[in-house]
Amino acid sequence: MTLQELAIRVLETVESSNLGFMVVGAIAAGAYGVPRSTKDVDLLVGVTSEHDLSEVMAQLAEFVQFDPQVVFDTITWGRRHVGVSRSNPPFKVEFSELFDDEFVQEEFRRRQRFFVPVLSRETWLPTPEDVIVQKLRWGRSKDLDDARDILAVQGTDSLDMAYIEKWCERHSTLERLKNALAEIPPLD
Amino acid sequence: MANPHDDPAALKALQDDIYREKILRARSMTTEQRLADVFELSNHQFGMMLGGAMHRLNTRDEAQGWLEVARWMRRLDRVREHRLYAVEKPVGV
Repeated sequence: MTLQELAIRVLETVESSNLGFMVVGAIAAGAYGVPRSTKDVDLLVGVTSEHDLSEVMAQLAEFVQFDPQVVFDTITWGRRHVGVSRSNPPFKVEFSELFDDEFVQEEFRRRQRFFVPVLSRETWLPTPEDVIVQKLRWGRSKDLDDARDILAVQGTDSLDMAYIEKWCERHSTLERLKNALAEIPPLD
Repeated sequence: MANPHDDPAALKALQDDIYREKILRARSMTTEQRLADVFELSNHQFGMMLGGAMHRLNTRDEAQGWLEVARWMRRLDRVREHRLYAVEKPVGV
């Protein structure tokens, strides 16, 4: 199964559950920056107290084996469900639950709908500004590269830099933003 | 031809040229085209990994190759996700 075939099955299933969601991770970063390969289909999903992800994961069980153990990331302490595709290649599917983090709530509220021809469907993506803020917050080397690349490809003149700086200040990641910008050579 | 590694300024200029080309290429693409590239690159990467695994195992059996790729991916995850995830949330967080 190709990554797009898996992504279509995942998106169809989440859409049919009527849960709000957006595609995050390398797919979202690649939409605005320099495309790179990934092994993951990552979604942020707006779960509710009445409606969680168990039904979605059960419907996907034919294609994805989810780990019954929920994990928390140690940066934001968000809840995450991780699965691996049952067919080859062994792609991963990660569902992060929307939670009461001020930035994540704002990022989710600002999400945008895009038609993605390779998936033959419209889907939800965060804004480029929100991808940059979140990538700088995570701060792994690939996240910092993604943030720098989005800044370079989109250009600071077309991005809402005041919004990015506001959140970086709150997350204490202004130095990372400054370093990312400094790494971009003159492009013209 | 001079080796740019012998001259830090020349090396930086070369790195900037390569990066500039990468960024200008991405700028010339639409969002939809960049998204399509993510999927193509990802499928291609696993194809290359399968080829590498089969070569390493000296086999023509794809199933064996995929098992080896899956083992590599689990090892990569352990390295990349070290300390990034926990199964319990600390009290008070």
